[in-house]
Amino acid sequence: MPEHLPTAAIELRGLGKRFQEGETERVVLASVDLTIAPGQFVVLLGQSGSGKSTLLHLIGGIDTPSSGSVRIGGVDLTAIDERSRTLFRRDHIGFIFQFFNLIPTLSVLENVTLPGELAGRPRSALEAAARDLLGRVGLADRAATRPDRLSGGQQQRVAIARALLHEPLLILADEPTGNLDEHTGEQVLQLLIDLTRQQGRTLIMATHNGAIADRADRVLRVQEGHLLETSSPAAAVAA
Amino acid sequence: MSQGEAPSVVRNGPLWRLAVRRWRRRPLQYLLCILGIALGVAMLVSIDLASGSAQRAFALSTDAITGRTTHRLVAIGPGGVPDSTFVELRRRFPEIPAAPVIEAYGRAEELDGELLRLVGVDLFSEAPFRGLLGGDGDGQGGRGKQGGRGFVPFLTEPGTAVIAADTAARFGLHPGAADASGTLHLDLAGRTSALRLVGSVSSDSALERRGLETLLLVDIATAQDLLAPAGAAAAPALGHIDLILEGPAQEQAIRTWLPAGLKLETAAARGNAVQQMTAAFELNLTAMSLLAMVVGIFLIYNTVTFSVVQRRSLFGVLRCLGVTRRQLFTLILGEAALFSLVGSLLGLALGVVLGRTVVGLITQTINDFYFVVSVRQISLSGFTLAKGMAVGVASALVASALPAWEAMATPPQMTLQRSSLEAGWQRLLPWFLPAAALTGGLGVLLLRWDSRDLVPAFAGLFALLMGAALLMPPVLAAAMTVLGRAGGGLGVVARLAPRDILRSLSRTAVAVAALMVAVSVIVGLSIMIGSFRGTVVTWLDQTLQADLFVSPPSTTANRVLGKVDPAIVQSVAARPDLRAMVTFNSFDVRLVDQDRDITLIAAGGDISAGRRPYAWVRPGIDDPFAALAAREGVILSEAVYLRDGQGAIPEQVRLETPDGERSFPVVAVFYDYSSDRGSVLMDRSQVAELWHDDNVASLGLFLAPGVEPEAVAADLREGFRSRQSLLVQTNGALRQGSLEIFDRTFAITGALQLLTVLVAFIGIFSTLMSLQLERGREFAVLRASGMTPFQLGRLTLLATGLMGLLAGTCSMPLGYGLAWVLVHVINVRSFGWTLQIALEPRFFVQSLLVAVGAAVLAGLYPALRLGRMNISEALRQE
Repeated sequence: MPEHLPTAAIELRGLGKRFQEGETERVVLASVDLTIAPGQFVVLLGQSGSGKSTLLHLIGGIDTPSSGSVRIGGVDLTAIDERSRTLFRRDHIGFIFQFFNLIPTLSVLENVTLPGELAGRPRSALEAAARDLLGRVGLADRAATRPDRLSGGQQQRVAIARALLHEPLLILADEPTGNLDEHTGEQVLQLLIDLTRQQGRTLIMATHNGAIADRADRVLRVQEGHLLETSSPAAAVAA
Repeated sequence: MSQGEAPSVVRNGPLWRLAVRRWRRRPLQYLLCILGIALGVAMLVSIDLASGSAQRAFALSTDAITGRTTHRLVAIGPGGVPDSTFVELRRRFPEIPAAPVIEAYGRAEELDGELLRLVGVDLFSEAPFRGLLGGDGDGQGGRGKQGGRGFVPFLTEPGTAVIAADTAARFGLHPGAADASGTLHLDLAGRTSALRLVGSVSSDSALERRGLETLLLVDIATAQDLLAPAGAAAAPALGHIDLILEGPAQEQAIRTWLPAGLKLETAAARGNAVQQMTAAFELNLTAMSLLAMVVGIFLIYNTVTFSVVQRRSLFGVLRCLGVTRRQLFTLILGEAALFSLVGSLLGLALGVVLGRTVVGLITQTINDFYFVVSVRQISLSGFTLAKGMAVGVASALVASALPAWEAMATPPQMTLQRSSLEAGWQRLLPWFLPAAALTGGLGVLLLRWDSRDLVPAFAGLFALLMGAALLMPPVLAAAMTVLGRAGGGLGVVARLAPRDILRSLSRTAVAVAALMVAVSVIVGLSIMIGSFRGTVVTWLDQTLQADLFVSPPSTTANRVLGKVDPAIVQSVAARPDLRAMVTFNSFDVRLVDQDRDITLIAAGGDISAGRRPYAWVRPGIDDPFAALAAREGVILSEAVYLRDGQGAIPEQVRLETPDGERSFPVVAVFYDYSSDRGSVLMDRSQVAELWHDDNVASLGLFLAPGVEPEAVAADLREGFRSRQSLLVQTNGALRQGSLEIFDRTFAITGALQLLTVLVAFIGIFSTLMSLQLERGREFAVLRASGMTPFQLGRLTLLATGLMGLLAGTCSMPLGYGLAWVLVHVINVRSFGWTLQIALEPRFFVQSLLVAVGAAVLAGLYPALRLGRMNISEALRQE
C-alpha cells in the first residue's frame, strides 16, 4: 500500500449493497459507478434510507459491499483484508458523524489525537498539531474538557478537528449538521468546508440539506439504489 | 378520579410483548443470568440433598430396627447388656414387651464390599416391635404377613441370616438356595464368617424398603457368636434391649429396678445424638453453598440492572405514553421472577445430578468421622427442593428490587438519559464507605459475640464479605482514577481501559466485587486447609512414634470398631523383636456436665513416646502420661471444652461409669484432630477397673533396634490370618493414609470453591457482554477511527485484566481475614480444633492468577466478538 497518496482519486465500480430482510432482499445500492477527483467537495443528497450513509460507509471501508469495488489512490479497499483496511482508514480517511461520536472517556485533546495515537505517532507532535487545530475551530481553551461538558456545536467542532488532524486525503461527513440548530449548523459547516479547502482534502458529505449543495463542487443524488449526478446544485435541490 | 367515573383500565400485555421481544434479541444475556441462578441453587440443593440423604439413610435403617420401640436399655460402657438382665427383665415385667438386639457393621464380598448393618434379634420377642420376620414360609417374608416355616432354620440353625429382598435381587443372591448364591461371607472386624441366607424381608412401602436395604438380620445367638472374640470366656452380652413402655408408671418402674451399669434412654435420643454429631459439618457445607448463591446474587443484580439501563430510553418513552410506575416495577420484578423461576428449576435438576455426585464424598466423610452409613441413592426431599426454589427466586427478587425501584422512581425525562444511573452511582460513592464500615462492623460484632452457636458466626462472616463488597465501588473508582492519571504517558489503549471501567462503575464494581468475594473464598479456604494440613502433618509426626500399628480392619477412619483378639495381643506382646508395645481402646462415654457423648481412650502406654505436644499441662506435672499411669487424672482433647464454647480449661471432668458418675482431675490438654466430639485419655488399667472392659482395639509396636518393620508387618499379617485378619501398617503408611483421609475430607470443599468461581466467572462474562452491547457504537467509532481489531481486543482484555487484578489483589487481605475467621472462630465452634495459620505465598499467587485468569478468559469471547463487529451497523445504533 502506498504510504502517501497525493493524487488519490476515488473510483467506485459496480458498487452494490443488498441486505437480506427475512425472505426478501432489499437493494440499497444497485450498481454505482463514480470517480471523484482529489480535492473535490461532493455532496450526496437523498431521502432518509436512500443509501447515503451506506455509500459513505462503503467508501470508508467500514462496511463491505455485496458487489463491486472501491479504489482510493489506487488501493482497492474491497481486495485487502480487514486489518489493512483499518490501517488505511486510520492513515487516510477522516470521519465526521451526525451524533458527533466523541469518546466520552477521553478529553477533547485526546479525542483529537486518537487516530494519530492509534497509528503510534509521537504524542508531543500530535498534541501540538491538535492544539493548533482546536485553536482553529475555536476550542483552544477546552482541550482538557470532557466531551459531555460541551454543547452540540462544540462537540461537532471537536469531531472535525479529530477528522482532520492526521491530514487524511478523504473526509467522510454523514449529516454533520443534522443534530445542530440552524445557526450552529451553518458555523460548523463553514468551518468544515474552509478547513478542507485550505488543506486540499476531498470531502464527501451526506446531507438532507439541499442548501449545502450550493457550495459543493459536485452534487449527487442517491435514489432507488442508483447514483444520479445533477447538472447543477440548483437542479439537485429542485429534484 | 371523580365519582361515577369508570376506573382506569391498565393492561400489561403490550409491556410483556416488548419484554419477550427483548429476550429474543438478547438471549445470551438472560441465559447467563439463568445459568448463574441455576448454579447457585444447584450447589445449595446438592449439598442439602447429599447430606440429607446420608442422614435419611441412617434414619430409615434405624427406623426399620427401632420399629415401635419407645425406650431402650443400654449399658454404660462398652461391655453390653448381660444376657441375664434380659431374663430377669422378662421375669420381673412380663407385661412389658422387650426384645434384645445386637448391632454391628461389616462387609460382604458377595455385595461388592458394600457396608451392611448386622442386626441380631430374638425372633420370639420380635412380634410387638418390628414384625420384620413375619415370613410366609416361602422365604419371601413381608410386613404384616404371618407364618414362619421359612424362618425355622433362622431359629434352629446357627450361622443363618435374612437379607433385604431388594438387595438380594440386586446382587443375584437367592436366599434358601443350596449353592453359592445362598451364602454370604461377612467380614466383621477382620473375622470372616459364612452365613447361609434362609429368607428375605421386604415391605410394601418404598421408604421402608430403603430402610431395609442395608440390613442383615441374624438370630441373636448367631450375632453373639459372630462378634465374640474367638476363645472369649466372658458371658455373652446383648447390645441393648428394646422396650415398649406405656406411660410414666412403667418407665418409673424400670428406672427403679435398673441394675447397676445400665441406663434407660428414649428411642428418639439416639437419632438426635446422631443428628447433632454432623450438624456442624453440614452447616459448614451449607454455608459454603450459600456463598455461591451470594455471588450469584451479584450476577442477577448486574443482569437486571443492565436490562434496565439498556431500556432506559424505552422506559422513558413508555412513561411518557402513560405507563405507570407500578407497571414498570411489576414488569422488571416479573421478568426477574420468571427468569429466577426457570433458573431455579434448572438448578433443582442440576442439584439432583450434582447431589448424586457429591453424596459419595459426603457419605465418606460421615463414615470417616461420625457414624457408619451406606447410601445407595439420594433422597429427594420436597423441603430441600422447595427451599432451593425459594432461595433462588427470593435472591433474584431482592437483587432486582433496587434497579426496579430505580427505574420506577426516575422521572420520565431522566429515564431517557443513560448516564443518570452512573451519575447516581458517582453521587452515592462517598456513602459506600460508611455502609461498608457499618456492615463490616456488624460482622465483627457478630463474630465477637460470645455465642456457642455457629449461625451468628456465619452471619458475621457473610457480613464481613458484604462489607468488603460494599467497599469495592470507591476502591475501584480510586484505583482506576489513579491508573487513568498514571497512564497519561502511555498509549491511548492503556488510558482508555481504566476510564472505561470507571465510566460503567455501576456494573463493573458489582462484577469485580463478585469476583473478589469468590476468589477470597479460595484464598481463605486454601489458607485454612493448608494451615490445617500443616498442623495435622506436624501433629502426626509428633504423635505417631511407634514403628507398626496393628488393628482389625475398620469401616471408619477415626475409630476402630472391632477388637484385637486377646490371644493375639498376648502373643504379640511376647515377641522378642519388640522394644515396647502400647495398647489402645476406645468407646463412647457420657460427659455428664455437657450431657453429651465423648470418646474415652484407654491408653496402655504413650504412642508418642513422650514427644506429643500439649496445649496445656497442669503446673507441677512433668510427664502427663506418667500422671495418667499414676491415676492422677485424665488428659483431655481441646474439643471437649472448646466445642461447647468454654474458653477455660476445666479443672476436672465428670464421666458416667457403670457404677455412677465419677470426677477426674484434668492433668493436661492434648491436640486431637481425628475427632471433633472430644476425647479423654485414661490409663488402661483404670478404664478396665471402672468400665469393666479390658479389650484392645489397636496396638502400637516399637521395634527393637535393627528390626525391619516391613518384615515384622508381613509376619504379623500371616501369623494370625487363621484367627483374625489384621491391618498392620508401618508408621509411614499410617501417616500417608491419614493425610489421604484429610485430603478426601476437603475434596468437596475444593469442588464448591470451583463452582463459586464459575458463578463469578459467569458474572464477569455477563458484565462484559452487557457492556459490549451497551457501548457498541462507541467501539464502532474507535474502529472507524482506525483502531484495529487487535487493538480493540487489547483494550477489552486490558480492562478485564485490570478488573481481575484488582479483584485478585483485594481478595488477598479479604481471604486472609476469611481464613482467620474460619480458623479462630468457625473451626473452634464447629469442631473444637485450634490450628496454626500458615501463610504460603502460593495461596496468594494462585488467587491472583485465578482472578486475572478468570477475568481475562471472560474477556476473550467479547474481545473476539468486538473484532468481528460490523462497524457500519453498530454506528447506526442509537
